[in-house]
Amino acid sequence: MKIRYYQKKPGSKVFKTQYVKIMCFFVGRALAAVSKVDQEVKEEIATLPEGFTFMLKILPYGPSLAVTYQQKRLRYEGGNYPEEQADVVIMIKNIEAAFLLFTFQEGTALAFCRDRMAVKGDLTTAMAIVRCLNIVETYLLPKFLAKKALKRYPEWNFFRKHLGRIVIYFRTLTGI
Amino acid sequence: MKEYYEFFCPVKMVVGHKALDHIPYELDSLGAKHPMFITDQGVVSAGLLKHVENAFKNSGMIIGPVFDEVPADSSLTVVNQLASLYQDQSCDSIIAIGGGSVIDTAKGVNIVVSEQATDLMKFTGAGALKKPLKPFIVIPTTAGTGSEVTLVAVIADHEKDQKMLFTSYFLLPNLAVLDSRMTLTLPPHLTAATGMDALTHAVEAYSCLGKNPLSDAYAFQAIGLISQHLIPVTKNPQDKERRLQMAQASTMAGIAFSNSMVGLVHTLGHTIGAICHVPHGMAMSILLPFVLEYNLKNDPSGDYQQNISQLLLPLLGDEVYASTKHEYRADKVITYIKRMKEQLYQLTKMPRTLKETGKVEEAQLEEIAQASLGDASITYNPVEVEFKEALAVLKSAY
Repeated sequence: MKIRYYQKKPGSKVFKTQYVKIMCFFVGRALAAVSKVDQEVKEEIATLPEGFTFMLKILPYGPSLAVTYQQKRLRYEGGNYPEEQADVVIMIKNIEAAFLLFTFQEGTALAFCRDRMAVKGDLTTAMAIVRCLNIVETYLLPKFLAKKALKRYPEWNFFRKHLGRIVIYFRTLTGI
Repeated sequence: MKEYYEFFCPVKMVVGHKALDHIPYELDSLGAKHPMFITDQGVVSAGLLKHVENAFKNSGMIIGPVFDEVPADSSLTVVNQLASLYQDQSCDSIIAIGGGSVIDTAKGVNIVVSEQATDLMKFTGAGALKKPLKPFIVIPTTAGTGSEVTLVAVIADHEKDQKMLFTSYFLLPNLAVLDSRMTLTLPPHLTAATGMDALTHAVEAYSCLGKNPLSDAYAFQAIGLISQHLIPVTKNPQDKERRLQMAQASTMAGIAFSNSMVGLVHTLGHTIGAICHVPHGMAMSILLPFVLEYNLKNDPSGDYQQNISQLLLPLLGDEVYASTKHEYRADKVITYIKRMKEQLYQLTKMPRTLKETGKVEEAQLEEIAQASLGDASITYNPVEVEFKEALAVLKSAY
């Protein structure tokens, strides 16, 4: 007796994927920018070995961002960096989890605690990068959004918060 | 609702009086007949290895190779040597008998022999293991670390003076055997320290950001058992029934924290252990009430107070819980834990403060606070912690 069945292609979540791709681009550029401007980030990354690469990837096939530590700064490597060459990879398990994170409905720490992410590589270094990402969020987001993303909104002085924000935005948009 | 969590505990528990005698059957179920035994001199001198050897009578299985010199804090060199011995002797499984160091060493050996590697270093961090490991049985001889149900191994590289962390679901043993005989000879000061370690696991699992209903159930029950049995068994170490209850509590606390992680107590405790070599359970006992106070004072959401308040029920029972006003319950939990510490000090001289350990100088507190910020567990603490806050907690615990 012949069994009736069907197969179909899974399709894709176009809007969410494109949104996350754009956010990955900005976050990657912003990580590079804060590494040049913010003292706290400079101290966090100071212990990284030269050539160290961190990657944030959305499973199974991206988008992604990668940054490399070179000459005391982070350099944005784009969204096509080969995963096997990265030293630490934070993998967000699916596009829905990434969308929650990048729309600030769930903070980075909470997303981590809720097992939305897996880490490949050294956990201690991954934590240092997560702290840098928190600083990036503080610079890029208005206070009411940043408070959702962070455990505690930091108390920064005027120059760091406002002038720093202008510089970070400028460097993020221009890539300088 | 955006809540999401993961819970995983595939470890089979074999629990009770004479539980060891089920090991040959369980080995056969796993398709194994030639296990390597890994233990330490403490277990041997306490006569505990004899119980395990006796369990193999009538089984027809050879007992050995037996390695009984695992150092405290485990060792990368020993792991690599044991892996060579495993291959040379054509073993097909591993039995670990001991505390956290023995179990972690055995986990490390299992990585090397299963991946057919020669060096454990290639598998540090998370995500390095891709397939199940060899059959692995754990027989804990302390009632504290919960290593028999955790997916983590910490192994010291003494040459580079650093500790390496291995994390994988594949590190979980196939079987954990809780036999009341295996903790009977645990000295009172270790009973106290490991018991408080288990209490800290359960409290942090219940109150940190990774908490979930399944781990809460284990943590809640563990806290009740520890509250009932830790002080009495410290006074009367030969009480088999209480020893079994504490072993179960420790395993339940291990299941809880393995699935919801821990927070600031472990963040600071790991660093104090690494820098000042304060034993882990002792550090947990000292820090627990001070971290609870810090988190309670600084959590704006009120969730932490809610969570800690609920722990008054397993700690002091339904009558005390019902008769205590809601806003005072969390403080009563902390007061009770401090009282437990005081009682354990009277019984075993277990230090109540960092200064009493004799191993921590006040001048080291800044170094400890700075180094602790790199510990991954800090992410799970419900309240943000920076250098000055970590230092303040350490000073209050000093």
